[in-house]
Amino acid sequence: MRTAIIGAGQAGRRTAELLRGLDAEREILLLGEETEPPYDRPPLSKEVLLGEERPRGLMQRAAEVYEAQRIALRLGEKVTRIDLGAARLETAAGECIAYDSLVIATGARARGLRIPGADDPRVLTLRSIADARALRARLRTGLRLVVAGAGLIGLEVAAAAIQLGCAVTVLEMGERAMARCVPEAVSARIEAWHRAAGVVLEFGCPLTAIRPQPDAIHLVTGKGEVSADLLLVAVGAIPNMELALDAGIAVDDGILTDADGRTSHPHVFAAGEVARIWQRGAGRHVRFETWQVAQHQPVAVANALCGEQKPYAELPWHWTDQYGRNVQILGTHSAALEWLEREDGGRLIYFGVDPEERVHSAVLIDNGREATPLRRIIAAEKPIQRNRLLDPSVALRQLC
Amino acid sequence: MAWHDVAPEGEFEMDVPKVVQVGEDRVAVFRLADGFYAISDVCTHEYALLSDGFCEEGKIECPLHQACFDIRSGKALDEPAEVDLAIYPTRIDGGVVQFQL
Repeated sequence: MRTAIIGAGQAGRRTAELLRGLDAEREILLLGEETEPPYDRPPLSKEVLLGEERPRGLMQRAAEVYEAQRIALRLGEKVTRIDLGAARLETAAGECIAYDSLVIATGARARGLRIPGADDPRVLTLRSIADARALRARLRTGLRLVVAGAGLIGLEVAAAAIQLGCAVTVLEMGERAMARCVPEAVSARIEAWHRAAGVVLEFGCPLTAIRPQPDAIHLVTGKGEVSADLLLVAVGAIPNMELALDAGIAVDDGILTDADGRTSHPHVFAAGEVARIWQRGAGRHVRFETWQVAQHQPVAVANALCGEQKPYAELPWHWTDQYGRNVQILGTHSAALEWLEREDGGRLIYFGVDPEERVHSAVLIDNGREATPLRRIIAAEKPIQRNRLLDPSVALRQLC
Repeated sequence: MAWHDVAPEGEFEMDVPKVVQVGEDRVAVFRLADGFYAISDVCTHEYALLSDGFCEEGKIECPLHQACFDIRSGKALDEPAEVDLAIYPTRIDGGVVQFQL
C-alpha cells in the first residue's frame, strides 16, 4: 500500500508523520517542488527578515529524520499531472508514480498584481524561504520599501523593514489594517504601532500602475505617485489547486473536501491551505490560510487514510507578531458582532458578542494566557453578562 | 550548583508560578497538587516567557504559539515546540521553596 503526498510543506510533512504514527507498514512518499526539506512559514515574514538564517521557529527537520521514519522525501520533484483512472502521478522529470491513495498538500501561492509594470524585478512577493532570503538580501538602511497590502504579511514585513532602517510605506486599498480578521479598534491599535515606528500608512489607496525607471520604480496610486526602490506585494494568496482541477476533482476557491479531508474522489484527500473544508458549524466549506490548518487538519486526513474518522472542527486561530507585540485571533471576524474591550495593564481582550451575549470571536493582545479559557467560552455558546466580560478582576477561567 | 530561594511555601498559589532570575537563566517555580516544580521559563520554540502562559493540570501553555509542556518532566507535549524544557530539583528549606541550579 502506497500513499503519495504532493507538497512537502507543513501540511504534507504533518500528514506523512501522522500517517506513519498510525500505520507502521505503508509506503509513504512525500514529493516537494522546493529543494528545502519541509519548514514552518511563520518566521519567514519576521525572524528570517531580521537576519536569522535558521530561526528556532522555522522547525526544519534534517532529511535523515524522514529516513528514520521511513518517509520517502523527494525534493525538487514537480508533479505535472494526476491520472485518477490509472491512479498514478506524472512528474516534470518524466517519471510515473503509482499510488493507492493520494494527498494533495500543495498549499497556496502569493497573489500578484495584474497591473502594468508588475513584472519588474524590483517587485517581489513573499511565500517561500527563498523569497524571504531574497527579500532580506535587499533590505538595508535607507531603502525605500513600499508594501502593497495592510494584511498580516504586509504589516509583518513593514515592521521588520522599519527595524532594519528602511523607509517604509504601506498602501492599502481598504480603509484599515487587517480589516479581514480584526475589528476596527484592533486595527487602530496596530496602525498606531506602525505609525509610532515611522511607517507611513495610506488607506483607500489602490495601486494602479508601476512605472519602472533605471533608478527607482514609480508607483501610481489612487492618491498620486510614490517612488520606491522595492515593492513587496502582499495582497493575499491563491490556492494551488490546478492539478486537482485538471484531474476533474471538485474545486471552488480550494479543493473541496468533507470534514475528514476527502475530496470528490474517494482515494484522494487534500490537506492544509489548499483545502476548502466542510465546516458543520458554519454550514459551508471554508478555506483557511493559517499555521493551524496546516498543523491540525492533517490529523483528519491521516486518520481517514486509515479508515478512522477524526473530522477537522477546530475553532479558527491565528496570530501575528509585530514590534514585540503578540496578537491572537480566535474564531471568525464578523462586523455583525458587537466588540467589547477588556483592558488589564496593557493586556487586552476584544470579545465579539452577539445580541444574546454569547461570545463568538475574540482578539487577544499580549494576552495569550487567556486563549485557552476563551476557546472554551466560545465553544460553550453560553450567554455571559457583559459586566463580567469587561471586569478584569473576573478570571476568564471562572467563566468557562 | 547552588540552591536558590524562591519564596515562603505559603505564598504560592496553585498554578501561579513565581519567577527567579539566576544569571542568564530565568526559572519559573510552580506549586502543583503534589509539590513544587521548577522549569526554565523560556519556551524552546521562540522567545516567550512561559510564566505568562496558561497553566492547568500540570501543564503550561506558551502564551505566544500555544506549545504545551509538562511541568513535572519538562517534556514538550506538542508542536510548535519540539525541544524539552530544562527542569531543576526543588526542596523546602525552613519553609522556603528553593531550586537547584
